[in-house]
Amino acid sequence: VRLWEYALEEDSAHFLTPQGSALLDRRSRGKGRTGVRKRLAGPALLAVIVVIAAIFTAGSPAKTDRGKGADRAAKSAATTVSLNGWVGAKVEDDLLKEVIAAFERSHPNIKVNYDAFNNYQTTMLAKFAARKPPDVFYVAAEDFADWVRQGVLQPLDSYAKKTKFKSKPFYSGLLNSFKYKGKIYGYPKDWSSLAMEVNPALMGGQPVPKTWAQLRSVAQKIKVAGGKPICLQADWARLMAWVYQAGGTGQFKDATSAPFRVAANYYVGLLKDGLATLPTDVGASWCGEAFGKEKVAIAFEGNWMLGYLKDTFPNLRYSLATLTKGKTRGNLAFTNAYAMARDSKNKAAAWTLLSWLTGKTGMKKWTSLGFALPSRSDVKPVPGRAAFVRYPKFTHGWGNQVDFRHVWTEVANNELTAVVQGKESVNDMLSKIAAATK
Amino acid sequence: MAIAVAKERRVRALGSERAREALVGYGFIALPMAFFLLFFIFPIGYAFYISRYDWQIFKGPFIGWDNYRELYHDQVFWHHAVRNTLVFTVFVVPLQMALGLSLAVVVNQAIRFRTFFRAAFYFPSLASSAAIVAIATYVLASDGILNKALNAVGYDHHTAWFAEQSTALPSITGLIAWTTSGTIMLFYLAALQAIPTEVYEAAAIDGAGAWRTFRKITFPLLKPGHYFVAVVSFIGALKMFDQSFIVGGTSGGPNYSTMTVVLYLYNRAFTGTTRFGYAAAVGLVLFVFIFVVTVVQRLLFGKAEVS
Repeated sequence: VRLWEYALEEDSAHFLTPQGSALLDRRSRGKGRTGVRKRLAGPALLAVIVVIAAIFTAGSPAKTDRGKGADRAAKSAATTVSLNGWVGAKVEDDLLKEVIAAFERSHPNIKVNYDAFNNYQTTMLAKFAARKPPDVFYVAAEDFADWVRQGVLQPLDSYAKKTKFKSKPFYSGLLNSFKYKGKIYGYPKDWSSLAMEVNPALMGGQPVPKTWAQLRSVAQKIKVAGGKPICLQADWARLMAWVYQAGGTGQFKDATSAPFRVAANYYVGLLKDGLATLPTDVGASWCGEAFGKEKVAIAFEGNWMLGYLKDTFPNLRYSLATLTKGKTRGNLAFTNAYAMARDSKNKAAAWTLLSWLTGKTGMKKWTSLGFALPSRSDVKPVPGRAAFVRYPKFTHGWGNQVDFRHVWTEVANNELTAVVQGKESVNDMLSKIAAATK
Repeated sequence: MAIAVAKERRVRALGSERAREALVGYGFIALPMAFFLLFFIFPIGYAFYISRYDWQIFKGPFIGWDNYRELYHDQVFWHHAVRNTLVFTVFVVPLQMALGLSLAVVVNQAIRFRTFFRAAFYFPSLASSAAIVAIATYVLASDGILNKALNAVGYDHHTAWFAEQSTALPSITGLIAWTTSGTIMLFYLAALQAIPTEVYEAAAIDGAGAWRTFRKITFPLLKPGHYFVAVVSFIGALKMFDQSFIVGGTSGGPNYSTMTVVLYLYNRAFTGTTRFGYAAAVGLVLFVFIFVVTVVQRLLFGKAEVS
């Protein structure tokens, strides 16, 4: 208590308000302080009021939106469906709001209440636990296996049957990411696979590699000033594509199988032999940035990289190619779904929204700007995406394994980092990963 | 007789006044106490309750001490989370205290622009830790300002400080010592001003130099300050989370080097299979540990010093 008293005494009070304090100090020298305090009280009070007013008025645009919605609701006695997702880039959020507005126009009796969060998984778990989840929400394939086992998701088959909503147009690899015990719990809203991005200016006339062997030999002939030929991340969300290319199952529980070992040795070998670099070693936070900064000639990223490169490095010239082939072809499909809460109070209206968003009309609008690829085969992606969709048969859903995020980020990626930094052997890593799935 | 009655009346009046005063006193603490019970004591009790169940998103079967038993054998928890947290604490607390104390002593002098320095030193404590770490990731990148500065003075350095297993935790330690030093300076400054000036005058008369005065007078007389700062820093250090979370994501990477107890707790609750019960057990263990450490500190420093 005593400490705080002193802290709040005049001498210490200065530096709590840096700007005001200089003023206070200068004027108070040789004068009584009370006068200054009084003089400052007015402006200080005013400042506080301005700040508070700013905080409250900042929320007002949302209020007018809501007001409009309420008017509409009053007119037609609409049902309100809540829709939750994670925060995306501003352009994506704007597009989603347009899509929602289009839905509301064609369905005047349903009002959509959309909200997005950072820390999405954490927020959603709290909402599930409180039994107050939104009606419709995003589910990442990485969370699906854990969420569906907790019983928070609504099986959708009966709704689809009733409204004759076909699941056939969806790519089966993507739809399988949201199936549990033969039932569908979510329809993929969009997706991306990986492609090989190549910077021709840095390739030094070398051909675009098509196989593992070519990738290695081409990399040996490329010189990149201040960088390395290839960018690889210490992340199983990339390495697993090589596991599939080596003929593996892609299941972490099979980590001790031969394809895992072959793929990991090849991948780590590129890094150890100086043919590839981690993005952090060339001053980038991810390979997209390293590629944009022209510190690497080859990167393996998804559709998300295209918009980023266009915005951040508009003058960069590059081409897209399919991933190199090992024993077979293999690629990862990163996807998310729209799902419905089992505790939803408006399931009929929720299904109307969900089936429209993942239906042909909604998906066409949502993928029209190319931020993500359509998960329905009857909706064509924007031009220039051929490398991503070339081999759907060899593209495997990423996620849909129990305890996935834990095994992936906490165990598998940490062990991979240790291997890359020479602190562990590939075999030790693989047996630790397999053990973590038990 | 009359005198006795008057006296009695006065005593009674005094008694009721005392009662009223007590009532007002309890009235004042009622609201904060209610908050304290509702938001601190109740959640701790509830966390204990949860920790005895196989509680995932929803309440599961009662499993007694199984969560604690599993935690006892949890390799990642002990070998990485606890170890990192303790190493971090052991380094960051003295560093913070030394930095904070030096700053406090400096700005307690009658120097020019004293107020400016006080504000400047305190400034990092005002900025959000997330923002500071975000900026630090650029400064400490392999081609960041720090490495460029090192290169300029002749050290050829390309370490990505946050991405290297051996440098990630030390980098966070340094960063946190810097950001918190302002707050600690504030505490120490308050404690410094509580030392009566006569003691210094006496020392000056006896011919003690600046260093000697600091060592023999300032430092020992700051004992209550040391206690308070040590307790606050210890608790803060043991609860370290956000910096790790931003640097390594939920992985606590590279290779678990930034995994802390609270990050581990967060992961068990929110990453992979949701296990609120197990996470609550982790929280309880941390609570007990902090509680014990604080009690030990109190015994070491002597409770009479803290008012």
